[in-house]
Amino acid sequence: MATSLSTTRETPRTASPAGSLQLTDLVKQYPGSAGTEPAVAGITLDIRPGEFLTLLGPSGCGKTTTLRMIAGFETPSHGTLTLDGEDMIALTPDKRPMAMVFQSYALFPHMSVFDNVAYGLRLQRFPRKRVQEEVDFALASMSLTKLADRAPNQLSGGQQQRVALARAMVMKPKVLLFDEPLSNLDAKLRVQMRTEIRALQHKLGITSVYVTHDQDEAMSLSDRIVVMRQGRIEQVATPDTVYRKPASVFVADFIGRANFLDTTIDTLVTDGGGNRATVRALGATYVVPAHDALVTGSPVCLMVRPESVALSPAPESREVTGSYGRVLKSVFYGAWVEYEIETVDGNVTAVIHDPAPGDILASGTFVQVSFEQDRAWLLPADD
Amino acid sequence: MSLDTLPPATLPAVAPPRKESRRGGAKLDTVTKLVIAGVVLILMILIGYPLVRILTQAFTVEGLGTLQDIFSSSANRTVLVNTVILGVLVGIVGTAVGFAFAYAQARLDFRGKRLLHLIALLPIVSPPFAVATAVITLFGRSGLITNKLLGQDYNIYGLTGLTLVLSLSFFPVAYMNLLGMLRSLDPATDEAALSLGANRWKIFRSVTIPMLIPGFASCFLLLFVEAIADLANPLVIGGDFTVLSSRAYIAITGEYDVASGAAYSLVLLVPGLLVFLIQRYWAERRSVVSVTGKPSGNITLLRSPLGRVPLLAAVFAIATLIIAIYVTVFVGAFTAILGVNNTFTLANYRYVLSGIGSDAMFTTTILALIATPIAGALGMILAWLVVRKIRRGRGALDFLGMLGLAVPGTVLGIGYAVAFNRPLIIGNIQLLPALAGGGAIFGGALAIVMVYVIRSMPSGQRSGIASLQQIDPAIDEASTSLGASGFRTFWSITLPLIRPALLSGLTYAFARAMTTLSPIIFITTPQTKIMTSQILSEVDAGRFGNAFAYCTILIAIVLGVIGLMNLIIRDRSAPTRTS
Repeated sequence: MATSLSTTRETPRTASPAGSLQLTDLVKQYPGSAGTEPAVAGITLDIRPGEFLTLLGPSGCGKTTTLRMIAGFETPSHGTLTLDGEDMIALTPDKRPMAMVFQSYALFPHMSVFDNVAYGLRLQRFPRKRVQEEVDFALASMSLTKLADRAPNQLSGGQQQRVALARAMVMKPKVLLFDEPLSNLDAKLRVQMRTEIRALQHKLGITSVYVTHDQDEAMSLSDRIVVMRQGRIEQVATPDTVYRKPASVFVADFIGRANFLDTTIDTLVTDGGGNRATVRALGATYVVPAHDALVTGSPVCLMVRPESVALSPAPESREVTGSYGRVLKSVFYGAWVEYEIETVDGNVTAVIHDPAPGDILASGTFVQVSFEQDRAWLLPADD
Repeated sequence: MSLDTLPPATLPAVAPPRKESRRGGAKLDTVTKLVIAGVVLILMILIGYPLVRILTQAFTVEGLGTLQDIFSSSANRTVLVNTVILGVLVGIVGTAVGFAFAYAQARLDFRGKRLLHLIALLPIVSPPFAVATAVITLFGRSGLITNKLLGQDYNIYGLTGLTLVLSLSFFPVAYMNLLGMLRSLDPATDEAALSLGANRWKIFRSVTIPMLIPGFASCFLLLFVEAIADLANPLVIGGDFTVLSSRAYIAITGEYDVASGAAYSLVLLVPGLLVFLIQRYWAERRSVVSVTGKPSGNITLLRSPLGRVPLLAAVFAIATLIIAIYVTVFVGAFTAILGVNNTFTLANYRYVLSGIGSDAMFTTTILALIATPIAGALGMILAWLVVRKIRRGRGALDFLGMLGLAVPGTVLGIGYAVAFNRPLIIGNIQLLPALAGGGAIFGGALAIVMVYVIRSMPSGQRSGIASLQQIDPAIDEASTSLGASGFRTFWSITLPLIRPALLSGLTYAFARAMTTLSPIIFITTPQTKIMTSQILSEVDAGRFGNAFAYCTILIAIVLGVIGLMNLIIRDRSAPTRTS
């Protein structure tokens, strides 16, 4: 331990392989707010080398505070934080081998693009030639070479974000931290930068922690997503799992859209692929995948994504009964149509992709409502 | 000229650092801790210790006696009442004049607007006697206007003269504050009132004026404190009208009664600090000016001659008076005895520029030039600590820094005289040699530099805090995250970004140092001659010509340095690649 601390100064902060980051029971209670819920109420995470991990949640869920504790801008009230086994909490932010990309870009307005990117390397007292090479390479890989002599205020938002990214990446940190870096960009640019960040991170293989409240960003970028709520972790899983098998109603609701149908478990079987439950919903019986924690008799809730709902004509029906429902609202979005349908289990939202011309149902139409049972998910009801 | 870069003489406290629950949760690094300790130590020596000595002196047996006297003996009570009357009068008149100028500037369209702005700021850069002495020459017993022109035997000395001179000297503060407020009022509120059926006069009464009330109140308080703390003018034009500051001066320089002087100044200190605290409290909750969104729309100018004519007449009359005063100063400097013997002469300049005069000029400029960068640097570091580094106790640190401005000059001067005339000895160890007075090191110059620093620093601190609050804290964090220590970040990121504010703060600090008298007069020594106190002795001796010559030179030096600093600001504004 003593040796690792004493070498921190000498070991360059740059040119390190990807780090593995451990957060153990991290708590942040702001002074003067004793008695209230802490901003971060015990986060334990094991972030693997080279992994792209996203902290996702509504505002005030503690995701940014967690990121700032990792960076060192906040001191945890409790808990440990280690990078490759080395304690980070003892180090001030400038001594941590991490680099951060800020929401506001935080470029130094009095320096050129080149100087901005060179800043960290010069602090490390890299030889001039090396600084030139590294910065040139970083600028080239972000297609910024032509802008090297510009001042930040002469750049567009997207260009500024590239400079901010180059400035962090050029340090070759063990961990890259992103604090909602794309939220100030317009929608199209956001999608483009998202792709670039992911490609670059894949190429460099730097462990990355990314904070966002945008689920599209989280889904498209991450190896794993951490969904947070009120300072606690709700679920840590791959984007696929978070979407298809959310751990709670909160997660299901926050990621994507979902219909929640009240039901009860008839039978519950456990096979190799996990729990499967037989339930009744929308006037029919379905066998659906179910959450591990469920037992027969648990209060449950059936999640059906709008795109899993299937609608078929119901010429014989004139009332809402059994599997028959009535279209209340129909909105055409171009690539898809969205319906709100009154059913015996309450209102259900359905999304039909690529509707055929003339195939759009008008309000008042009676339809038969069903869903693909493998795509539904039975989870504990929210209390 | 670049007078408009000058902040008003006493800035009302800028809104305190906004509450950011997220910021400042990190540990402070060692360098930052050392900087904090250093700054606190310096402030303790520069302002804390002299104030403590004032208190200890005032609460000695003699001091307590005087304190009791002030409220019981009728002679002393008159002094107290005089002081209050003067403060109230100057507060009202100065605020009214300042508002007239500000309203004309913001809401009227007329020729010579820019010129009027410069005229209104002129009193800031000139030494206080310029006005007092010129007013005596113009309106005194044998005054050019009152006696020679109108044949009156008019006595300007006393309350009338003091009110006139002090109002003219300090109204620029009110002018700048109210102009700023008028300009930040959202024109849409006027338009809203108009569309609801109010006419111009109704809008002025029911919208504009009520929104400016906090501004009026704060200007009144500022002028009140400036007026009661002023020493130069009561000495020159006060006549028999004695106020607390001149009473304290007489106690110390005439009666050698330091304890009584301290007691008098304590009575001055209390309202000074009180007003300062009220101002800070106010700034925190002053939310009248543009509550929501960006101001939109255009200001509708006042066009009705019913409003324009009287307002412009009043404003131009006052502007003419100011010009007359400065013309008097300028002409008086080239005249044997203005109004008595109006022959052209260079004798005044010859006197001032040779011997004692040039000595004082040289010393004052050098000392001010030494003090200015120190004050500027200290102010910026303090601003940085207050805005960015300290979480708990930043209000206290900010307050400690601002004390140099909140404490009346007379009080500060007496505090320095009391605290630094003898070596500071605790136990048997001499911590500090004597810094002030004839027997002190460097002939007492060090204490003068210290006064300049503590008196000028708050303006740097204010402009530093204001500009730091404009800078995204993430920029600091970006630097830290790239491996820069706290001090490194300050040096290579923060400082370059606040340089314009720093320089305008410095300019103002310099002007203030060069023209200040009340704190200096108690600690000048025969070895260290300061221009302002030299001017006072020339005025005292009735040699107005010399005083005028001094004043013009002082104004020239201040304007010259301001111009130079402005050139520097402009040259450095472009970003440069530093590889």
